[in-house]
Amino acid sequence: MSEVRTLIVDDSSVMRKIVARALLQAGLDPMVVFEAGNGSEGVELLKTQQVDLILSDINMPLMDGLEFLRQIRAQNLASGVPVVMITTESSEEHVKEAILAGAQGYIRKPFTPDQVKERVLPLIHAA
Amino acid sequence: MTGVSSAAIATARFGGKDEMERGMTLSLRDSVDLLSDPKNLDASVEEVFKLMLGVDCRRYPGPGPAPEPESVTAVVGFGGLLSGACVFHCGGSTAKKLAARMTGMVFDEIDETVQDGIGEICNMLAGSWKGRVPDLAANCGLSIPTVITGRDYNLHVQAPEFQLHHLYKFEDAGFEVTIICDGLQ
Repeated sequence: MSEVRTLIVDDSSVMRKIVARALLQAGLDPMVVFEAGNGSEGVELLKTQQVDLILSDINMPLMDGLEFLRQIRAQNLASGVPVVMITTESSEEHVKEAILAGAQGYIRKPFTPDQVKERVLPLIHAA
Repeated sequence: MTGVSSAAIATARFGGKDEMERGMTLSLRDSVDLLSDPKNLDASVEEVFKLMLGVDCRRYPGPGPAPEPESVTAVVGFGGLLSGACVFHCGGSTAKKLAARMTGMVFDEIDETVQDGIGEICNMLAGSWKGRVPDLAANCGLSIPTVITGRDYNLHVQAPEFQLHHLYKFEDAGFEVTIICDGLQ
């Protein structure tokens, strides 16, 4: 697999590390990881970096994950790049809201590395 | 008290207008037995610790862990049909141990990464707990975690509607999880 450039958006630095580790365990190696602490940082980063995959939390300060999705679609950033939400918000309504905002996948915290593999790898292969 | 991080507890996020309107017509009054069922909290704690830290964790009757000079408390607020909070409390050594499990790093002090890890555990516990009650999952938002570290502090809650307070152990480390409900629609 060629190098996968991945943006992880989460206000928890620990969770960003855990997600990156789960992606490596899923076989995304080699991988370049970009990190953002909220949606606003994520939008700014996407103005200067091209990525192949985005994983984002929903509940974050300053700009939440759903607004982040709407912003990158509105600004035509990361066009065609798969976005997977990783969040504690797991109701059917939250999933629908994320899909409507442009997410292709949804992983509930807490998660296992296998769940990350099952939901992320098909999106990478399809992109 | 020596430090408070991410001080955004006041109001939990609560979805959009449609969700708010739907929430207005729902009531959790009939779900109090389900909400206050101690098994839901136990299952949430066991799930989070098993999946994210790879450890088996069990509730025990007490006494609580021996007091340590320094401790860590994380709070995640609930807003919407239920208002209240999920509170995670442990001694400094347990906090460092948990953060080490999460990150694969070793910690000599309760730094920002340790606080961040404890906040995230509390966040996942709150999300898992509310996800076990269908009407609550969709109609109750979570705040960003607030983490308090220091010595000689107490958290006081005024007359909640109901409260669950459990002690848990993994390996030789203990911690406390409290669900506080101070308002129910």
